[in-house]
Amino acid sequence: MGFARAFGVMVYRQLKRFVKARGRLVMTLAQPIIWIVFFGVGMGSVFSFSNPVAESFIKQVFGGLDYMTYLTTGVVGMTVFLGSFISGITVLWDKQFGFLKETLVAPAPRSAIILGRSFGDTLVVLLQAAIIALVAKAVAPSINLAGLPAALAYGLILGMGLASAGIVISLRMTTPESFQVVMNFVMMPLMFLSGVFYPLDRLPLWAKAIATANPLTYAVDGVRYWLTGASAYGPLKDLVILSAISAVFIALSVWEFRRATLD
Amino acid sequence: MSDIVVVEGLMKRYGDVEAVRGISFRIRKGEVFGLLGPNGAGKTTTIHVIATLLRPTAGRVAVAGHDVAREAAEVRKRIGIVFQDPSLDTALTAYENMYIHGLLYGLGGEELKKRIRELLEFVELREHANRLVRNFSGGMRRRLEVARALLHRPELLILDEPTIGLDPHTRARIWDYIREVQRAEGMTILLTTHYMDEAEELCDRIAIMDRGRIMAEGTAEELKSLIGSDVIIARFDRPACFRDPPIKECRELPDGRVEMVVENAAKALPQLFDAARASGLRIVEVSYRRPTLNEVFLHLTGRELRDSPSSTTRPPAFMARRR
Repeated sequence: MGFARAFGVMVYRQLKRFVKARGRLVMTLAQPIIWIVFFGVGMGSVFSFSNPVAESFIKQVFGGLDYMTYLTTGVVGMTVFLGSFISGITVLWDKQFGFLKETLVAPAPRSAIILGRSFGDTLVVLLQAAIIALVAKAVAPSINLAGLPAALAYGLILGMGLASAGIVISLRMTTPESFQVVMNFVMMPLMFLSGVFYPLDRLPLWAKAIATANPLTYAVDGVRYWLTGASAYGPLKDLVILSAISAVFIALSVWEFRRATLD
Repeated sequence: MSDIVVVEGLMKRYGDVEAVRGISFRIRKGEVFGLLGPNGAGKTTTIHVIATLLRPTAGRVAVAGHDVAREAAEVRKRIGIVFQDPSLDTALTAYENMYIHGLLYGLGGEELKKRIRELLEFVELREHANRLVRNFSGGMRRRLEVARALLHRPELLILDEPTIGLDPHTRARIWDYIREVQRAEGMTILLTTHYMDEAEELCDRIAIMDRGRIMAEGTAEELKSLIGSDVIIARFDRPACFRDPPIKECRELPDGRVEMVVENAAKALPQLFDAARASGLRIVEVSYRRPTLNEVFLHLTGRELRDSPSSTTRPPAFMARRR
């Protein structure tokens, strides 16, 4: 059984599951859209002034962008971040409902199975991110959609990393309840300390330290660069650090899954 | 090489708990081998080790000459397994579950599609092929799992409690499938069960397991001959045992009853009554049975095993076969 084939089978399975549960697409799109509409409209109004001096000051704070453009491009990255992590966590459901055992006894390379799974899920999440980018364009017309494919490439790297992180956690986790704990105490802080909602350069040191180790920081910066031209670190640095962090999670997930037993 | 499974000195410990305490057995190619024992005997742990899903703490296990710890991939190719708990993808249809399994085992194309159709036909799920498994009943799911495990024509089919939780009708159907597969394909089957009638009905050879150990092994007839002919179970008003002829063997069971092995219970009972009266004992209850695997189990462990629920629905045939 070849690696490519097993990889393909798992991509197929994840896409099939997505097609079967199209209703979930609406659910997963709801959250980013709520952020854009209810948070973006509110904060956007706070940060918009008729005074040109104030206006240019605000733009300076947000890397030369108006707040709506700043936020919506960040939300594109956030969609991938949360969506792919949750998809990785669904391994826990496979564990609960038994399909995990079916993949564990299969004579296919375990690495191919777990990577195919992450990749299939990431493709679904990228579709969601693309839809969010279109929504973003509607409320922030200065967004440049020609940069979307490049932006999604950053999303792909982030998505593979976060799906893998979710898999590692769910393979180690014994109860679904721990999922809530991880969401509230890890994912939410990382979501805020990433530059999705506000720039990081004026944060206190401890917060900056967290943001520096946060893969979402670099994904958001890269996505924002390709959609608007504004960037805090530069697209190349974003790409290198994001890839490095994701690679660690991907390697961990392969390692964990290869040695997985029912013990 | 006629032994497809070789288990030597297998031990499996979870923390402080010894689930399997050093067992050895061999399964011959083409036979149906059963692990019979109550819940918690270590049956499932044993087959999970054979299926490469658990690492043995000690001992050696090989399937078709391949060590399960070192050559897991070779072993996985050769086995099909139906777990005790469902392992289907409930968000997909029956057909898709089969299709993905086939692809994972290296099948494909028209051949795979044809085989899926045949097997869904075999387990009578053809007309449900495109329904989501989420909407399947427990029996339908079990049948689908059997079909899925057969898809890649494994050399060894492993069934963990294949009929647990099923209604008598579905149970009978699963039994038919198992016999059919064995007859038509000559496939080696390893099954676990805590129903003694299931073991007797399906298995060529049976290993009786209790508390992580194999207590006895052989054909159903061989196991029953461990006891002799008939067994009288009695309860006296105070502890006592009779060892005079015609009683060949007597021992007290943990629940206070007394087990006596005799050649012919019908003739021995009146003599037992006389002997009891002569010693001033009152008989509180008495029954006798032809030895079944239950008596064997009781004899070996001092506890009883159960029959599967279906046996109560057709006692005449069941009794008839026993004699």
